[in-house]
Amino acid sequence: MPTKDNRPSNEPTIENKKPLNRRDFVKTGVAAGLGSGALLKSAEAQAQVPASGPQQTVWHYEADVVIAGGGCAGLTAAIRAVDLGASVLVVDQNFDLGGRMLHSAARMSLGGGDPVQQRDIRGESDREGFITVDPIEDPEELDDDVELLFTDLTDWSVVDPKGQAPYRYNERELARTWAENCPATRQFLIDNYVRFSRVAGTHGGGGLSRARLATCFLMLGDVTDIKAGTITAEDAGVADRERSSAFAPVRMNNASRMVGPNAVANGAALSRSLEFSAREKGVEFLLHRRFDEIVREQPVAGRVLGIKAHYSPRQHPETGELLESLWQDGNIDERRETVNIRARKAVILASGGHAGNPEVRSMFYPALRDPCFPTSGRALLGSGGQDGSALIAGLRIGANLAGMQQNLSYFTTFHISTRLGTRDAYTGMMPGHPTFGFRGSAGFNVGRSGFEEFIAVNQVGKRFFNEVRLPARPGPSAYPGDRGAPGRGLDHTPVDWRNCRKEWVREMYNYDHGVHAALALNEGSEPPDYFSGPIWAVFDQDAVDRNGWELRYPYVSDNGYFFQADTIEGLAEQIRAGNEFQRVPLRYLSETVATWNGYVESGADPEFEREVDAPMNRIGTAPFYALSIMVIWHDSYGGLRVNGRQQVVDMQGQVIPGLYAGGEAVGGFNKHGLGKGHVHGYIAGTHAVEEPSL
Amino acid sequence: MTLRLVVGAPALACLIAPAAVAQQRSDTDLLEQGQQLYQEKCALCHKDSGAGDPPTFPALSGSDQLQDPVRVVRSIRRGRGRMPPFPGLTAEELSSLATYVRDQWANGSRGVTTEEVASALEGFDEASPMVSVWDGVFTEAQANRGKAVYEGACGTCHGYRLNGAPDDPDMRSTPPLARARFLRVWQGRSLATLFEFTRATMPEDNPESMTEQEYIDVIAYMLAVGEMPAGGDELQPDADSLAGVIILGERTEMEPSRLTGADEHP
Repeated sequence: MPTKDNRPSNEPTIENKKPLNRRDFVKTGVAAGLGSGALLKSAEAQAQVPASGPQQTVWHYEADVVIAGGGCAGLTAAIRAVDLGASVLVVDQNFDLGGRMLHSAARMSLGGGDPVQQRDIRGESDREGFITVDPIEDPEELDDDVELLFTDLTDWSVVDPKGQAPYRYNERELARTWAENCPATRQFLIDNYVRFSRVAGTHGGGGLSRARLATCFLMLGDVTDIKAGTITAEDAGVADRERSSAFAPVRMNNASRMVGPNAVANGAALSRSLEFSAREKGVEFLLHRRFDEIVREQPVAGRVLGIKAHYSPRQHPETGELLESLWQDGNIDERRETVNIRARKAVILASGGHAGNPEVRSMFYPALRDPCFPTSGRALLGSGGQDGSALIAGLRIGANLAGMQQNLSYFTTFHISTRLGTRDAYTGMMPGHPTFGFRGSAGFNVGRSGFEEFIAVNQVGKRFFNEVRLPARPGPSAYPGDRGAPGRGLDHTPVDWRNCRKEWVREMYNYDHGVHAALALNEGSEPPDYFSGPIWAVFDQDAVDRNGWELRYPYVSDNGYFFQADTIEGLAEQIRAGNEFQRVPLRYLSETVATWNGYVESGADPEFEREVDAPMNRIGTAPFYALSIMVIWHDSYGGLRVNGRQQVVDMQGQVIPGLYAGGEAVGGFNKHGLGKGHVHGYIAGTHAVEEPSL
Repeated sequence: MTLRLVVGAPALACLIAPAAVAQQRSDTDLLEQGQQLYQEKCALCHKDSGAGDPPTFPALSGSDQLQDPVRVVRSIRRGRGRMPPFPGLTAEELSSLATYVRDQWANGSRGVTTEEVASALEGFDEASPMVSVWDGVFTEAQANRGKAVYEGACGTCHGYRLNGAPDDPDMRSTPPLARARFLRVWQGRSLATLFEFTRATMPEDNPESMTEQEYIDVIAYMLAVGEMPAGGDELQPDADSLAGVIILGERTEMEPSRLTGADEHP
């Protein structure tokens, strides 16, 4: 098991241990109400700065660039700023770095003629020679440039299988600078130990015209060594399918097709490599610390001076011990309740989106104010993950928002997971990662095909949709075509009106509204929130036998998301008593099962027409089971408005001096996941360093 | 609808049964049987509409390849290019299937009689006896090789349980490759069809990128996961031999008549 004691042997030595000027309780500032926006500056660098409000600001730490969030945007920005000579302090609410990048699949679509596309066009291996397979895509499918990428990302004509046009609403300046910085960011990541596989297609938000997706990998070896590019089978989680590691919360994928034998890939390969580089280069970290507020010269005017962050210790769910990050170099052990951190040049907000904050989510979809539905990575990040902190703090100091409707236009924003029996239903984390206890069960992924084996009921025990179609999701607009635009691959013509001709949209439209039926009002929805409540998969022993489902630990456990009883009545009682969000009795469950069995008998389901899609199976053999079905809110798209330099813009369209943002903290750019975050971080890190020093 | 009602039954009959269709059976019976066989054997690739999915699966609607009835019958019976052979079809079945595809989608060619089928097949070897996937048609070693290939090339999308549940939650579910849902699509088809279909379509972004041996090894692994028994001989990556192995849901479902091969079928 990797712990702080078996970090890579070539642990970085930090040459300069004092990039920060750590001064406890250096009192600065002026009395409240003194200067009407007067910026008081002392001749000495460490002297006074003005108050941000009624109280004096006491700075506990300072650095040239202060970054809220150590995920894909934050770590990239940190390394970029350090490379350019700045001192950098990163604050993260979690006990470890990486954010959701750590549990991602590390499928990163960049493009614009980036170095990985170029390498594959030439048919070369990577510089270490790990790649032994031929390029997957043909050279013409990789022949990309910035203009084409920009055109793709702002293509008004591309309509997805949900009938929506994801790129139509993208901020053009953001898309332009993003496209321009893709090749440089890919090279930057390579220069910081990130290894990319062969390019294979593109995923959501990558544009339709070219193949732009490469996956980050490491090679299985005897030791875990980022510099050498190797990882042990234990750290990769491939030694035992039911055991994760502290290094990689999710088992790494076999990448032999994209790299060669013994290659493994996912977000751990990406995140740990970047983290290693950041620590090696002297970035410092305040972990267990949740960013709350931006300190500006005046409440909604003047330059941004720093941030406030409070202690948010993550403790082991069983032992109560403070969780420790995998690696320690650069960590600052600070346990005071609140600290104020001064940014001499700039603050970069990279603290993620709002998918874990039900109150913010309700701006987009009131039904998802129900806290029973989590965001992805809930166990990994804790309740402070994806909490909308950047959006909330930005609004307080006058920032504008952008892309507020774009949450509705990507297929994983909120969706029904096929992983049953756990609240944290997005990932397959197994015991072995320190946060497994927060989920209690890994869940059981039955796939879409598994949904024909049970009935799905709402919080009062009634069916609400054709189960077979319940987890169906429309595809993103992805290369090669994937039915998101006429033609496939190179046949796709950008900005062509035929891409959204209504006859074509009718033909390729493919959206089942099951997730909305799951969130619909029902008889248990009570004022004032009218929550729809949890949903349950109900089946019997025959279903288990038919499918060979392994209903045992670690897939399911006694954690309120899996129940078993000898009668349907008993099952309903257990759910009511055992699940924290089951607010009402499942009073119709017995009736629903009886009705269902009648439908099975007659071969027709008049309510939801299940028989059209799959055979129906009687629920009659005890014991009976109930597993939770989760609606997961994954991505965030709406967020802070930024310009092409990633500077946050206020309600008057003016830049807020000294404030940058990237990744899911920003809105106006429908670009899924990692690609957005890394390039934003690269741009923000570049420009933050150019700011004049306070 | 209005148009149909006005035109009436005789005109409809003309549309679906051209005058020159084979005479020894009722035209309607022939086309019905042809349609049923088409659904079972052909529509997977050539689609209900006959539009296929070019260039992988050629269109049959409007195809000039259907003009020569001898070529049609031989192609079905023996395979052609990517298309697997169908040795289990009787002369009568070949007649109705060939008649159906030549008639449909406004192709408008006349029917094909069983006599014409017989002469088209003159000189062909008799079909070998048919076996099912339950008869020990692969080896354990082959399935183990297939597992290694599967995990690299297929498992990311089809899931390690082969249930179509990808490990990456951003990915949509895919078709299961074992057990009931797989069998619902594939039972009654031959391993030759599965082999050629898989080669032609998978991996989705780079079809035919693996060796023929790798494809057939993966199929052996799929059968093993479906709890079909291993035997003493490996499956060969050869459509002619695979055409004699039929996918069945359960060991007992194979009709004796099907087990003995086409030519003994009445």
